[in-house]
Amino acid sequence: MVLHTLNASPSSAAFADCLRLIAPGDTLMLLGDAVYGAVTGSPDRQALDSSGAEICVLREDAAIAGLDNRLEGATLLDMDGFVELTERISRQLAWY
Amino acid sequence: MSGTNDKSLLLLVRHSPYGSSLARASIDVALAAAAFDQAVSLLFVGDGVLQLLPEQQTEQQGVRNQGKLLASLPLYDIEQVYVDAEAAQRYQLDLNTAPLNTQALDREAMSRLLLTHDHLLGF
Repeated sequence: MVLHTLNASPSSAAFADCLRLIAPGDTLMLLGDAVYGAVTGSPDRQALDSSGAEICVLREDAAIAGLDNRLEGATLLDMDGFVELTERISRQLAWY
Repeated sequence: MSGTNDKSLLLLVRHSPYGSSLARASIDVALAAAAFDQAVSLLFVGDGVLQLLPEQQTEQQGVRNQGKLLASLPLYDIEQVYVDAEAAQRYQLDLNTAPLNTQALDREAMSRLLLTHDHLLGF
């Protein structure tokens, strides 16, 4: 299992590369501009969901972006939750 | 330093050779890890495969030749080098002409590669 942290907008190469390497059972943490990829019903969200990974979004970054009510089905985590995630999954990869 | 050598390191190289300093940084990390006898593998993903183009001409530009740097990696016992086959195809890269020996991987094989290494670093 891999924890991918993704901090790049959905139109970036980092976002596309991450999507290609993510595997079912992995966890994907969306930070910064990557939170726009989780918008309910968007093609990017559909791509994220079909990866089979669990989709998590940093709550404060989603709030700043104005996406609080547009992330159905994604797991919203505060900073403590994010830290917990990094404690649970030792194999981690940062995409930026 | 016991206990430092049994963890494997995979460097994911995702950026083109001269668009940023990340390509150089990835080589620096690979060499540093190798100097401490760490097992290092490289995976060139997406635009990272552009570092493997032969005939990079840097003499006039005053920058280090990334292709030549990569060619030196086997001297430091860095020989596990993998390439995103889809990206190589996209850029019409013939891996037989790459500066070092590589192994082409499809998407699933790349995902599996992540699971066989203890530490993952992206550049």
